[in-house]
Amino acid sequence: MISRTYRLLLHLYPSSFRADYGEDMVALLEDQLRDENTLRVVSRSVVDLAITVPIQHLEPYMRRSTTSVLVVAFVSIAAAFTVFGGPVGLAGAVVLLGLSVLVWQRSRPDHPPTANWWRFMLGGLGLLGILVAVTTATGELPSGGWYLAMATLFTSFGLIAAGIILGIASRFRPRAA
Amino acid sequence: MKPLPAASMHIALALLDGELHGYALMRRVEELSGGAVRMGAGTLYGTISRLLERGLIVETTDAVDREEAERRRYYELTADGRVAAITELERLRMLVSRVDHHLPGTAPA
Repeated sequence: MISRTYRLLLHLYPSSFRADYGEDMVALLEDQLRDENTLRVVSRSVVDLAITVPIQHLEPYMRRSTTSVLVVAFVSIAAAFTVFGGPVGLAGAVVLLGLSVLVWQRSRPDHPPTANWWRFMLGGLGLLGILVAVTTATGELPSGGWYLAMATLFTSFGLIAAGIILGIASRFRPRAA
Repeated sequence: MKPLPAASMHIALALLDGELHGYALMRRVEELSGGAVRMGAGTLYGTISRLLERGLIVETTDAVDREEAERRRYYELTADGRVAAITELERLRMLVSRVDHHLPGTAPA
């Protein structure tokens, strides 16, 4: 009964941890129940679950490198600047995107994002082309469509700007020997 | 070398004598700490997982022939793990010695 309940409670752990150690943990509990006072084992296991379940869920996030956190933070702020900041915000977003590229490039010298500059350019230009084609075909946009068109426009500008920054960065990148 | 977290240190020290399976490891930690440290299964296997990831311990279950009833997962220190455990031991000895030196009369009779 206790083992069965414990086995159910193990579902609180991340599935990968449960797959790796679930059976061992149940076996360990059964060993303890065989050798120790039941109440003591149960209370220790409850406290252990309460402490280690959140830790196992948080650990993957805590292991992420500072670089990833910085890149995500820069890109998020750049996106917010692009959407809410107007022309000044757009300029700030370009600077932040540039910073995130530099941080990323420094952290992964073997896989530079600068090699993909043309993808960003192509994506931005493609999005802009679609926007022009759709607005030309539909004429005047309804109010909801206007917001969508502006969001698409800013996204395409952002992608083109990222492509330009990555392209410039790739020119200044030292070549591997 | 950075000091190991408490649970990792206890497990590394418990494995200095050789390979152990989870339950024996838990009992050894309890024994070495004079009953003060009693790990739950989540703490034990969470710490084992971190030590495996850092390359300080290795699973040795299939390294030797075992009877079917003994098909538990065994762990032992790697060379790096042994160095880390001995470093921890030295650190603890030094700490005790310094405390003894600065606070005479604190050494057990």
